[in-house]
Amino acid sequence: MYAKEMVKQSLPLIVFCGLGAIVAGSTLGVMTDLLREIPGLIVVIPAIIAMRGNISTAFGSRLGSAYHLGVIDADNLWNEELKQNVIGTLVLSFFVASIIGLLAYTTSILLHIYPDPVKLVSIVLLAGIISGLILTLMTIGVIYLVFKRGYDPDNITGPALATFGDIVTMICIFGSAIVVEVIL
Amino acid sequence: MIYNWKKIVKLGLFLLTVTIMIEVFAGQILQSKQESLLLLPIFLISIPVINSVSGNIGSVLGARLASGLHVGYITLSLKDKEMHDNLLISLLIGVFTYTFLAILIYFIASFGNLTEDIALSKFIAIFVLTGVLLVATVSLISVLTAFLSFKRGLDPDDTVAPIVTTVGDVMGIVFLFLVLGLFGVGI
Repeated sequence: MYAKEMVKQSLPLIVFCGLGAIVAGSTLGVMTDLLREIPGLIVVIPAIIAMRGNISTAFGSRLGSAYHLGVIDADNLWNEELKQNVIGTLVLSFFVASIIGLLAYTTSILLHIYPDPVKLVSIVLLAGIISGLILTLMTIGVIYLVFKRGYDPDNITGPALATFGDIVTMICIFGSAIVVEVIL
Repeated sequence: MIYNWKKIVKLGLFLLTVTIMIEVFAGQILQSKQESLLLLPIFLISIPVINSVSGNIGSVLGARLASGLHVGYITLSLKDKEMHDNLLISLLIGVFTYTFLAILIYFIASFGNLTEDIALSKFIAIFVLTGVLLVATVSLISVLTAFLSFKRGLDPDDTVAPIVTTVGDVMGIVFLFLVLGLFGVGI
C-alpha cells in the first residue's frame, strides 16, 4: 500500500513536469539555425536554465518561509520584506548571468572556438534578466493565489516554478538570441 | 526585517558560481557534439526532458529521505529497508515516465519531419536506457547526499536538490552520448 501511495502522489507531477520539459526542449529544437550561427550559444543554455531554476526556487521557498513566519500574507504582500527579496533575486541574476557569459567565452577560447564576446554576454544578460523579471512576477502571482486559498506554499511553488521556469527561460534565450543577432 | 537584498546576493553567489561552472562544462560537452546534435535535432529536444525528469525524481527522493531521517523512520544505514523501497520506486517511476515521454517526443518530432533518420524502437531504447542509467545514478547521489548531510547536521532539504540537479545535468549529457555510441548512432 505504501509503495502505491508514493507512486500515486509523485508520478502525475513528475510526468507533468516532463511535459513542460518537452515544450522547453522543442524550443531548443527549433533553434538549430541560431545555434549554428552563434558559436558558444549552446554552451550557456544549461547554465542559464540552472541559474534560473536555482534562483527562483530559492525565492519561492523564502516566500513560503516568510508566510509561515507571518511576515507576509495575501493582504500584506507588497511590503519591504518582499521588496528586499525581489531586489536580491534580480541583482543576483545580473551577477550570475555576467559570470556565465564570461565563463562560456573563456572556456570556448581554451577549446579553440571563438565566439563573439559582446554577443554572447549580451544574450546571457538579456535572457537572464528578462526571465528573472517574468519568473519573479509569476512567483508573486502564484504565492498570492496560494495565500488567498489558504494552501501551504511549500507544496505548490517548487513544482510550478520548475515546470514553467524552464519554458519561460528557454523562450527568453531564444528571443534574446534573435534580438541580439538582429541588432549586433 | 528578516530579509536584506545584499545578504541574499552574498549567500546565493557562492553556490551559484559553483553550479554554473559545472553547467558550463556540460554546455561545452554539448558544443563539442553540436554538429551531430543539429543533424539529429530529436536528441536536442530530448536533453532538457532527460535532465528535468531525473532532477525531479532525485529531488522528490531527497525530500522524502530528509523527512524520514528527521522524523526517524529512516535510519542512517545503507541496509535500511525503507530507503531501499524508496530507491526502487524512484527507478520504477523513472522507467514508466521515460518510456511514456519517449513515445510522446517521437510523435511530436514526427510532425516536424525529425524522425526520418531514426526508428521509433531505437529512439525509445536509447531514451529509456539513458534515462534509467541517469535515474539510478541520481538516486544513489540523492541517498548519499541526504545521508552525509544529515550525519553532519546539515538539512538534506537544502543540499540534495541543487547537488542532484547539477550533477544530473552533466551526467545526463554524458550518458546520452555514451548510449548513442553504444547504438552506433552517428554522434
